[in-house]
Amino acid sequence: MLPARQRIGAYHTSVDGKLGRSLEQIYPVRHRLVGENFVQAMASAILEHGVSRSPGLGDYGAAFPAFLSTFRPVQSLAYLTDVARLEWLWHRAFNAPDQPRLNLEALARVPPEHWDRLVFRLPAGAALIASDYPIHRIWEINTIPTPSHDVIDLDQGGIRILVWGDGHSTRLDLPSETGWQLLQAFASGVPFGELCRQDFDHSGTTMAELLPVWVQCGWLRDFVLQEEVDP
Amino acid sequence: MADSNIQGVGLGLRPPHYADILSSWPAIPWFEALSDNYLGGGLPLHHLTRIRERYPITLHGVGLSFGSVDPLNQAYLKRLNALVDRVEPSFVSDHLAWVSQGGRYFHELAPLPYTEEALEHVAERIQRVQDVLGRQILIENLSPYVRFAGSDYLEWEFLSELARRADCFLLLDVNNVFVNAFNHDFDPLAYLDALPAERVKELHLAGHEEEGSFLFDIHGRAVQDGVWALYRQALQRFEQVPALIEWDTDIPALEVLMTEAAKAEALRSGRPVP
Repeated sequence: MLPARQRIGAYHTSVDGKLGRSLEQIYPVRHRLVGENFVQAMASAILEHGVSRSPGLGDYGAAFPAFLSTFRPVQSLAYLTDVARLEWLWHRAFNAPDQPRLNLEALARVPPEHWDRLVFRLPAGAALIASDYPIHRIWEINTIPTPSHDVIDLDQGGIRILVWGDGHSTRLDLPSETGWQLLQAFASGVPFGELCRQDFDHSGTTMAELLPVWVQCGWLRDFVLQEEVDP
Repeated sequence: MADSNIQGVGLGLRPPHYADILSSWPAIPWFEALSDNYLGGGLPLHHLTRIRERYPITLHGVGLSFGSVDPLNQAYLKRLNALVDRVEPSFVSDHLAWVSQGGRYFHELAPLPYTEEALEHVAERIQRVQDVLGRQILIENLSPYVRFAGSDYLEWEFLSELARRADCFLLLDVNNVFVNAFNHDFDPLAYLDALPAERVKELHLAGHEEEGSFLFDIHGRAVQDGVWALYRQALQRFEQVPALIEWDTDIPALEVLMTEAAKAEALRSGRPVP
């Protein structure tokens, strides 16, 4: 008969295994970048510090990028924390609730005197991430089969990414400078009237031209009038 | 909800098999989806929705934490209810376990003391969940590695009385009974005989691992001979109850699971075992 200590230990081993596998699934790129042994060491460290507040195993690991930024053994890999942030956002977008396309008929019914108060919303689970490193290339090269001669230049400059999904696929899009500014404004709930008055560099493109394109590509998924925005 | 549209031997639905299922639509009578994997949405729920169009589905979860003294997680229950509305599963099930304490989740199915107090507590929580979901649910037996001193009931007595008080059904994991009987030295047939047959609506089959003189329920290998033998006994006791092949770690190709399911079905229907 197994001693009680070993029986309790079996639960400990099982929990470690489940959470470790969960981290591997959410952060496959990080896993490939640092290797199995390093991942085991990191998993053990985060398991000692992490507290899960959700019944969903998939929710575990939200704090991992922040943990990584303080984990001394990886401080020399400056891009690793940003890659982990990207992976977490991808995981969130991948599991975000389905959402229909923006209701154009409802939008057309908004009287012109209320247009100033229109607040357009990004898809559920969408997020913006900026990095000093080409983390989208690091992500792609480690998740999508590519020729082995692909080389990533870590000094190629910063990158800005919109991570989003439409219920069928999850995407990493690279908006223009103007697009980035507008996406940030939409993500912050800035109403349409204020957006039109702000001094964005539209590069010759008007807001009236940009909006239909963004609705069409799925970046704008919903709208409310300003008073209806949740506090 | 005593009747269901599932029959025969189904498979646990796992992400590595989505592509095979969605391209070949294999001859599998039903799938059991892990509800916790579909509470968000996105691509997993999209896949499940497509599979649901062709197959009956049951939902099996680990997050209701019936044995915990934490309040029922209403946000989780609301998401589960929405998933049930969308998928319209034949059964909804969870475990006789607790997975949280003080709002901290440890993602492991922890066992309960089989006391009168625990029985009252769990039965009341199951009833509340059933009220929200508007249906009777199935409760699955665990393979606890520890037992508590001072229990008022044997495990099978506890389960039987729980099903009666909560007016719920039972999901009998045959592998867990086998593992428990070995680890805690009791007669597994006594376990089967004691359960109310009319309450047992589904069987689970899975593999375990032996380490020294102890068995561990790991769901990572084929069903072993001893479990197949006990399954035969369970079929005599529970007759046409549907069964499921569960495989959660080191998941093999779909064909391997289908071979296991074919064996379980052959035993059910009295045909030669492949």
